[in-house]
Amino acid sequence: MKSPYETLGVASTASAGDIQKAYRKLAKALHPDLNPGDKGAEETFKEASAAYALLGDPEKRRRFDAGEIDASGAERPQQRYYRDYATQEDARPYESEAGYADFMEGDDALAALLRRARQARANRRGEDVRYRLAVPFVESIAGAEKRLTMPDGGVLDVKIPPGLVDGQTLRLKGKGAPGAGAGAPGDALIEVEVLPDPRFRREGDDIHVEVPVSLSEAVLGGWIDAPTPTGPVSVAIPKGSNSGSRLRLKGKGAPIRGGGAGDEYVTLKVVLPKPADPELVAFVEGWARGKAYNPRTGAAS
Amino acid sequence: MTSGTMTRQEFLLRCGARGETLELWLAQSWIAPREPDGFSEADLARARLIGELTRDLGVNEAGIDVILHLIDQVHGLRRALGELRAAP
Repeated sequence: MKSPYETLGVASTASAGDIQKAYRKLAKALHPDLNPGDKGAEETFKEASAAYALLGDPEKRRRFDAGEIDASGAERPQQRYYRDYATQEDARPYESEAGYADFMEGDDALAALLRRARQARANRRGEDVRYRLAVPFVESIAGAEKRLTMPDGGVLDVKIPPGLVDGQTLRLKGKGAPGAGAGAPGDALIEVEVLPDPRFRREGDDIHVEVPVSLSEAVLGGWIDAPTPTGPVSVAIPKGSNSGSRLRLKGKGAPIRGGGAGDEYVTLKVVLPKPADPELVAFVEGWARGKAYNPRTGAAS
Repeated sequence: MTSGTMTRQEFLLRCGARGETLELWLAQSWIAPREPDGFSEADLARARLIGELTRDLGVNEAGIDVILHLIDQVHGLRRALGELRAAP
């Protein structure tokens, strides 16, 4: 590694004034912002800066001369120069066309190209803006109208299409940031989170729901109301239904894009009265065939 | 979205300039934040450059004005050149 004196091109006996003069001369020639296209200039400039940071400070120079710190001991953290930002969106207001405005006036190919590029820049499309929206499960199946409040206070009406899936992104054309000039506005991208519903479980396009039934409904059959995302539906319980019996409600699942819908499956769950009904206990105690029936026979053990 | 913005106070802290210095820069339009209290990283890098030109290179006010004007032209040209290169 070169010594900081070599980097600046001065003698180790140079005065503070000479060191500053030498550094300024180098820096004027090498500053990255004065050499936007020269990668090598940055490296050399950094070395010169580091050298000057060391030698320009009497205390650090003394310690360096005394061997207390080495040449890199004073190196500054990685700096980002203006040129790193200069062609980004953030620096746009600073940019000037003055350097080539005259080239745009002719009717040659270059002028046409430059004008076209400026046109494109002036009529840039607006940026897309992202939002997140939480939707209850029932509304994700049945569809809904939601209203989002935007950071600037405006409102955005969002139509939730029926059958929406968790994590799906809705695109509202033209509802994003405005474009520049004649540029079209960007889109609003709304990522939808479906909030779980304790009653329903979705599997693909089908919906599963568990419905408690009484013993008499299970034994004798009857009509019950089963919940679906679009409201309760009357379902016939066949005689002698068991816990775990599944009934299919055709077309009551999630709507499928392009037509049709999944099914809803109702799983019955027989629930005995609580506390136990004495009459039922008395009946079961005297029910000899019930006691003889073992549902576990034949099952793998 | 462009990178986040910082307040005037954060900005001063990070570029190491004093309030009245920043006022001068703003009055000269050397620094032009999008919002009065919303400075970008580009504004900060630009402020650092102005600071270096003044402090380390000994450029005076008129010199800064000329340099920034030229730098802005160079970057305008670089963008135009970049766009021409990207054009079919």
